[in-house]
Amino acid sequence: MTSTINLDPFEMWRQVVTKLEGGMNSLANSGMSSEQFTRAAHQFSQISTGLQQTFEKALDGYFKALNLPSRKDIVDLAETLQRLEEKVDMLLPIEVREPFENRPLRTRQPSTPKNATTKPATKQPQGGG
Amino acid sequence: MPSPNKTVSAPSTVDRIQTEIDRAIQRNLKGFGYLGSPAPVVGLTPKTLLHRRGTLSLYHYKPTASEVFRVPILLVMATTNKAFIFDLTPGQSLIEYLLGRGYDVYVMDWNPPTGEERYLRLENYVLDFIPDCLQRVQMHSGIEDVTLIGYCMGGVLSTIYATLHAEGPLKNLVCFTTPINFRKMELFQAWTDARHFDVDRFVDSVGIIQPDMIMAGFDMLRPAGRLVGQVRLWDNLWNDEYVKAYRMMDRWGAETLPVAGEYFRQTVKDLMQKNGLYEGTLSVGGKLVNLQNIKVPLLHFLAAHDHIVPPECGKPLIERAGSQDKEEVILPGGHVSLVAGANAIKRMWPKLDQWLERRST
Repeated sequence: MTSTINLDPFEMWRQVVTKLEGGMNSLANSGMSSEQFTRAAHQFSQISTGLQQTFEKALDGYFKALNLPSRKDIVDLAETLQRLEEKVDMLLPIEVREPFENRPLRTRQPSTPKNATTKPATKQPQGGG
Repeated sequence: MPSPNKTVSAPSTVDRIQTEIDRAIQRNLKGFGYLGSPAPVVGLTPKTLLHRRGTLSLYHYKPTASEVFRVPILLVMATTNKAFIFDLTPGQSLIEYLLGRGYDVYVMDWNPPTGEERYLRLENYVLDFIPDCLQRVQMHSGIEDVTLIGYCMGGVLSTIYATLHAEGPLKNLVCFTTPINFRKMELFQAWTDARHFDVDRFVDSVGIIQPDMIMAGFDMLRPAGRLVGQVRLWDNLWNDEYVKAYRMMDRWGAETLPVAGEYFRQTVKDLMQKNGLYEGTLSVGGKLVNLQNIKVPLLHFLAAHDHIVPPECGKPLIERAGSQDKEEVILPGGHVSLVAGANAIKRMWPKLDQWLERRST
């Protein structure tokens, strides 16, 4: 057997990227599984969530004072509208949207007998035959 | 020594440089197009919305075969993502493939939970949404038994449903990369450690878990992934197929869904911290979830290089299920490429069809 050395610089560069990715991932993962990291990350997350909530509360009060809808109000309104829209779409009975007579027969049988070792089907049959 | 007859002449350095120059030109030309082009269209297989209730949508896909298998299939998507991963584009769509192979396909997809749905629990998914959809599939198809296929957390929900409804109407259960032993998700274990992570305080303050946090959790499993992905995209900008596939997957990842707070709280406490599904201590709706209660034919696909659900995390499903007819298949690939990548088309889909067709009559 002979071993071939790939001297293609472009290919070598791609291999370096792949190796670098693996190295960076495993290095970061080992750091992130430590207790110190987890504790620090959660402390940071708590502070940022707290700050965000304080900010949102202040903004809500501001909008209320100005008699303006907040983003949350608009999202709630959009959700209500979406629910109504969907209900309208579904007013038409399913028998009308998908006529029963257009449905195929449920008589299809396996292409291979139960106990036979089958070869994986890699092509889709034309016309569902 | 290499045989003289089999010698393949390697491209000369001049040819390689020429190729790279061509690619660089294409890269620059197509790069501008990439920046200005709209997001790729996904989920094109014709479907009908059968039912929508808040976060839940149930779709029926229009059969393409003139004759279908008797037993319909209900796919349950993972709760954090949209189900178009099953239907990316013609030729790269599991649903299109299943329709072509003669199956009648229904899909449970998820919408962002509304503010009122922040209190949804595992019970709502397992004892309400899945039974409701199964009943609708039964009524719509006119068939009593149904095959349930769940992906990731959709697989967890389907598994729990199967343990609590041994009397039916399930015909078969298929799971894709479904975690059972959550202790094997080492990084998630560290991050949700009760000593540092006060999940009650977190859920009580945010209500709905925003997608940014979920995406950050997944990204942190492979911190270099996003950056290297961009480098590879730049390298392959000359290749239309690569760019199309990258953009579809990127869109899918970017459309990560928010999650109901109570459901997240249960996932962290009961599944991550107590490892209840594996230990047999998980209780849903007052009933203990025992994997031994699964009696229907069971197939579990795992991905050998899955960084989210490593194979060891999913293996106990087959080991512990009470089914006589059960099979585990570990295929090369990752968490997503198992179901939607090029390898899925070659390996997973044919195996799924081969297993299902004999159990769908």
